[in-house]
Amino acid sequence: MTGPPVTVSRRRIMARTRLDFWLDALLLVAYTLAYSLGFTGIAVHEWLGIGLGVVLLVHLTLHWDWVIRTTRKLLLPGGRERFIWLVNLLLLVSMTLCIASGILISEVALPELGITLRASSFWRNVHDTTATVTLILVPIHAALRWRWIVGMARRFASWRPGRSR
Amino acid sequence: MDRGNGPAFRLLAAGAVTVRFLRHLAAVVLTVAIIVALGMLWAHASGGTGTGGGTGTGGGLKAAPSREVLQRLEQVKTGAIKIQSDDGFQANTGNLVRTCEIEAVLAAVVITVGSIRRRNRRMRRSAGVRA
Repeated sequence: MTGPPVTVSRRRIMARTRLDFWLDALLLVAYTLAYSLGFTGIAVHEWLGIGLGVVLLVHLTLHWDWVIRTTRKLLLPGGRERFIWLVNLLLLVSMTLCIASGILISEVALPELGITLRASSFWRNVHDTTATVTLILVPIHAALRWRWIVGMARRFASWRPGRSR
Repeated sequence: MDRGNGPAFRLLAAGAVTVRFLRHLAAVVLTVAIIVALGMLWAHASGGTGTGGGTGTGGGLKAAPSREVLQRLEQVKTGAIKIQSDDGFQANTGNLVRTCEIEAVLAAVVITVGSIRRRNRRMRRSAGVRA
């Protein structure tokens, strides 16, 4: 049964916000684990990296409206959104190159799928460098939305099933 | 990030949402493909597509090991790099803790700077109102 349009809209917004929150949290945890190669081992590292690439595509798709809106507003005065846009762009480039180079130097995941590529020191260096750049940019990216994260975490912590929010 | 004030939050039919999602996904895939293509161009321009490290099994003649590989080999010999022959779960928690520490420190710095800037802005605004 569907309620009045305003309630349905509210429920949709809440569902979308919850999806955003948990997907962002998943990305953060997955990247932290993937970066810790000594903790995961090479096989988990590689499969986690490939999974991270897929989730990253979904994350970007969900926020594509923001990308378009902010890109259009870049020429207008006001520095904060511009700074966030720049951080996000750098993060997109470094994470994409990190995952792509990781696939190109894969030693376990790709051979398991029957694909063997000639590894090169160039892609190994790119992977090492972009992983470090991403490690710096990920916490900055999250911290720039810290108030939203705290607000959502508080909201979810106080959420009770059946209670309208 | 889209935080609920964009057109995505308008009440749309389920079909329209799916079409919109697919359109955005296509744009994202295209953007990612452009970045990867630029990376490939970079590799090609710097002559970095040949072998030189790793466990590649390409046919034909293989190039001599690069300087980086020889350096890595030296580091392995001296014990600076540990070789993990096991493909499974390593559970070196120290490594994970270090990653978390780096992330926490960087996030704390950004949050602190943001808080200071916000407080300064608020103080300037309240001083302006009083004046």
